[in-house]
Order: sequence, then C-alpha cells, then structure tokens
Amino acid sequence: MAQAPPTDTKLDEKVDYFNLPCPIPFEELHREASSCFLFSVSLKPELFEGMRFDFTKMLNQKFSLNHSVSMGPTEIPSQSTETIKIPTANYEFGATFIDHPKLMLLGRILTDGRLNARVKYEVSENLTLKANAQLTNEPHMSQGMVNFDYKGKDYRSQFQLGNGALLGASYIQSVTRNLSLGAEVFWAGQHRKSGVGYAARYNTDKWVATAQVASTGMVLASYVQKVSEKVSLATELLCNYLSRDVTASFGYDYILRQCRLRGKIDSNGCCAAFLEERLNMGLNFILSAELDHKKKDYKFGFGLTVGE
Amino acid sequence: MADSVISVQYLKDFVCSQINDDEKWAFNKKLLRAMGLFAGSIVLMRNYGDLMAI
Repeated sequence: MAQAPPTDTKLDEKVDYFNLPCPIPFEELHREASSCFLFSVSLKPELFEGMRFDFTKMLNQKFSLNHSVSMGPTEIPSQSTETIKIPTANYEFGATFIDHPKLMLLGRILTDGRLNARVKYEVSENLTLKANAQLTNEPHMSQGMVNFDYKGKDYRSQFQLGNGALLGASYIQSVTRNLSLGAEVFWAGQHRKSGVGYAARYNTDKWVATAQVASTGMVLASYVQKVSEKVSLATELLCNYLSRDVTASFGYDYILRQCRLRGKIDSNGCCAAFLEERLNMGLNFILSAELDHKKKDYKFGFGLTVGE
Repeated sequence: MADSVISVQYLKDFVCSQINDDEKWAFNKKLLRAMGLFAGSIVLMRNYGDLMAI
C-alpha cells in the first residue's frame, strides 16, 4: 500500500530562518528575463541592423583583445513619429583582463572617440568594488559610477556614487527560502530628483516571479519559467503611470547544441528574433530581425563572431 | 444597509470617466491589452509550457 509522507509540509514547518540562502543582487532583479527579451548580461540590446563582425583573440588565459566592425543604419531621436536613420560604420577595439575571481578589467574604444571602461575588484570575500565610465568628446556627456557591494549571509547591500552628485543605496533580504524583499533609494543632485523603490522576488526550482515599484512611476512585473534545461519562457509587464506608457512582452530562449534561438513579441505590435548558429568551434553566424508593425519599421541584421 | 465610502454610483462614475475621456481611454486600452498579454502568457506557460519543451 503506497504511503505518501507529508515531507513538504514538515519541511515548511522546520525552515531554519537563520540559514536562508543569499538573494541575488537588487540590480539584477529586473534582469531575470533579460536573455529571453534579447538583452545581454550587461543589458546591451542584442538586436542590431546591418552587418556585424566580432573577432576575439585570447592572448593568454587572462588577457584578450576584441575587434568589432558594424555597418548599418543608426536610428537618431526625432520629434516626429517617423524614424530617421543615418547609415554609419563603426570600429570598436577592446581589451579584457580577467584574473578570476578577484579582478576584471574591460575597456572598449570606438572610432567616434567614445570610451567605455569597467573595473570589478573583490576587496574581500564579501566586499566587491565596481566602477564603470563612459567618456565622450561631447561636453557634459561623460559619465562615471562607483559601486560598493556587500554580500552578507542572507542579504546583500549596495552603495552607489556617480557623477552629477548621484547617490544610491539598495538592500535585499531573504525572508524565507523562496521569498526575498528589497528596497532602493537614490538621489540625483544635479537634477534635484530623488526616488525610492521596492521589490519582491519569489523563486522555485521551475519558475521565478519578481515585482518592482518605484516612486519614479515605474511598475515592473516579470515571470520566468524554466520549461526544461534547454528552454526558458518569460513574460514581463512594464508600466510607467507618470508617462502613461505600458508594455507587456512574451519571450522565449531555446539553447540547443548547435544554435541558440531567442525571440519576443510585445503588446506594441513589435516582434523580434535572434539566432546564433555555431558553424564551427569558435565561429558563430548571427541573424537578427525586428518587425515593428505599428511604426512600420523593419530591421534585419546578419553577422559573424570569431573566437570565444 | 450602512453607507459606505465607495458606493456603486461612485464606481459607475469612475468607470465612465475612464472610458469616455479620450486620453484616459487610450492609456486604459494599452493597459488592458498589456495586462491581457501578461496574464494570458502566465496562464499558458503554467498550463501548456511543457508542450514547448524539447
């Protein structure tokens, strides 16, 4: 005769609140679904228009150089509803030094004079220093920011300092084994603006749900479901009640042996897809497509990446 | 029946003001469409997500 001992309820009753897992950093809460919505780990959009060629050369185990060429139309902001595009060609040179796990240095420079630099240094096991800077030729457009991240047993905190008298702090705490709650506050001295935000995250083995609210008018809710080892599905609702803008998206991420296919569709009538096909060891062919039926703007791109 | 702060008439007036005003209705239409896509996606993923597995 089969017996089903109520192990789940017994486990719930005996949760050790002094041994909760460490939550993910507050800034990564809204990145849960970033891969399904076609953003990279650094939140740079993966979709592109035109041609792209990336070459990465590992000079040794820690140091690598990167060359990127991109050619295609670039959208410029305009007052009217029509999109204005200008054909551009860019070359980007980059260098990366990774001394895992302590130090990471990354630099990228473009032909138009823009420089991006990132530093990540583990001061101790619990304290990490991060700095990033974007420097340009245009006056007053350069930016820099320093973050201090402290990781506790079941909490994380972050303090941010940026140019333009930007100060920020965030804190996230595991409340139960599955639930974590967090808050953030920021003050932008140059613009005389401040804000506060709250977030909650509930995760299980199969799915993760997050919700965020901020005094800037932003409300964000997302749900990510890991259907299998190779497939993830995600949905997100982003609303700004001050600017009266709301968008919902549904995305998927298929990681297969020879390729990776990602796509999304949103409530503004825009659908996009991104394919990375592994032709050979270290050689990837990429295809990108974005169809905005509402604005009648259609973007297609192709490219090649060489190196790991 | 005791008087309540939010009466049925108040709710009716609120809903009418949200529908009849053009600007508010444009936002509400977008909001309803987005919430429908969000909630519908969650329901479909939880119930039929396994069909998309490889």
